[in-house]
Amino acid sequence: MSSIPEYMTTKHRECDEFFSEAEAAVADKDWSLALTKWQLFASELTEHLAQEEDTLFPQFEQATGMTSGPTQVMRMEHQQMRALVQSLDNALAAKDKDEYLGLSETLMVMMQQHNMKEEMMLYPMMAQHLSDGEQLIEGFKANEAV
Amino acid sequence: MNMSGLSFNALPPIDLPFRFFLSAPIFIIACALLVLFSGETLWLSRWQPNMLALTHGFTLGFLTMVMMGALLQLLPVIGGIGVVKPRLIATTSHALYCAGVIALMLSFVFATNWLTLAALILLSLGLGIYLSAIIWVLIKKISQGDSINCFRLAITSLAILLLLGVLLLANRVGIALPSIILDKHLTDIHALMGLVGWAGILIVAVSFQVLPMFHVAPNMPKYIRQYLGTSIFILLITYVFYAEVALGLLFISHGVFAFSLFYVINQRKRKVPDTSIKYWQLAAGTLLLLNILYFLPDSFYSSVQTPLFIALPDKAMLLTAIFIYFYLLSVIQGMLLKILPFLSYTHLQQRCLVDFSAMQFIPHMHDFLNKKHGLVLYYMHILSGLSLVAVLFEPSLYAVFAILLLLEFVWLLVLMVRCMRLYFTVNKKINLSNTP
Repeated sequence: MSSIPEYMTTKHRECDEFFSEAEAAVADKDWSLALTKWQLFASELTEHLAQEEDTLFPQFEQATGMTSGPTQVMRMEHQQMRALVQSLDNALAAKDKDEYLGLSETLMVMMQQHNMKEEMMLYPMMAQHLSDGEQLIEGFKANEAV
Repeated sequence: MNMSGLSFNALPPIDLPFRFFLSAPIFIIACALLVLFSGETLWLSRWQPNMLALTHGFTLGFLTMVMMGALLQLLPVIGGIGVVKPRLIATTSHALYCAGVIALMLSFVFATNWLTLAALILLSLGLGIYLSAIIWVLIKKISQGDSINCFRLAITSLAILLLLGVLLLANRVGIALPSIILDKHLTDIHALMGLVGWAGILIVAVSFQVLPMFHVAPNMPKYIRQYLGTSIFILLITYVFYAEVALGLLFISHGVFAFSLFYVINQRKRKVPDTSIKYWQLAAGTLLLLNILYFLPDSFYSSVQTPLFIALPDKAMLLTAIFIYFYLLSVIQGMLLKILPFLSYTHLQQRCLVDFSAMQFIPHMHDFLNKKHGLVLYYMHILSGLSLVAVLFEPSLYAVFAILLLLEFVWLLVLMVRCMRLYFTVNKKINLSNTP
């Protein structure tokens, strides 16, 4: 059984890896490899954000009564990340290397800052307040296996 | 875990770190002019008054200035908590500190008592205010990490450095404490506390954070994270009593740090070409070279019957110059290339949390600092650094060094101003879009 901080942090690292592989492929102008890796990243990211927004955040808000606190900021940052992912999609489709690398550096920085806030503050707070945290994670794992 | 007092977004206003950053290259530009007008005699020894002005221009005017600005910004990101009343603290400490460094440099050049006294008062006040604010943050029980511990040691070194500096300055204006002998050993301790304790340990701390974060690299080996900063600090204290042994071990510990840097950089997942990584590699390589130079027998230095093809100049001066220029300055410049666009973007992005549609106005990171421009700075830095080493061998080449130095730091200033201007242009656009 893994805890919320353990599992969610591992997911951040997995996203980072796909992201870096896609970026390196773009730098080499290997567009087909870039697309494969980018799609892997995008689907990992989508799933991770959904796990937070559909399950963890509402549970946390319910348990603590904090509806306009940290989870709200995280939701807004997710929205910004999605916008950058959209721009990166376009840069990749246009095979615009410089634009892609400028955007990818930006998304990287935004994700790292965001991850740090979640890993250092939000996830530990969740582990503290959600008594069924490990069951929730088991649920995520079961969904992944399908 | 104590979550009270933690704010999620405690970034200080952007103009506060930026005023420290923008002032820094101006001090090196002044140093370049000092080198140009001081002539060959400047390079005779580290005790030349103009040389003291030069070293303090580099270390206080540039290095410490940038690090003060960066810490203001880093503490909230890493520790989750920032300085209280950041605008008041940053504005007063920055103004006093700038005036203090100018007074100090002038006091070395003109050897006037009132300038020395002014430097003493201004620097004590400026650094004192800054230090108190940072110490207040660091003693709070915020997230405990290896980086935070190293920050504490670096700040302690800065406090000791300041204290010794105050003693030395007081002595110059004729206020002497009878129990303390102000000799070369004390100035060596003062210099090492600054270069290795304050700047060096801070860089170690920063490396733990930024390499994994910006480059998707693994963490530094655990024993390095836990013990390196503390070991360096203990060695610095040991240096007071057993100088020779401690100094050797300090070089070796930096050699170990260099290998860890190479290891982590090599293992990084994010392999896209990056000038900051080049700076880190240059810095790590420099630490290894310094080990070789330090452990070469003394007969290699300034000897007539030299075993090398060329006689090496004064050992302490050569090693210190290389340490400052190719290690400390390299890391700081590499960091600036990341921090400047990072701060500009992050601040604008935070504004768009509430007004999502304004996201369209924010340019990407490379627009704030063009990658090619950063690479040009890197090559300029290597070139001016090599010319500095050449001057130590052949002082008549001083004008070449002065001009290369001037060009490099004017370029850095240009990059900073461009980045800031873009920030303010975009910020204005967001303001306009908010007012219907």
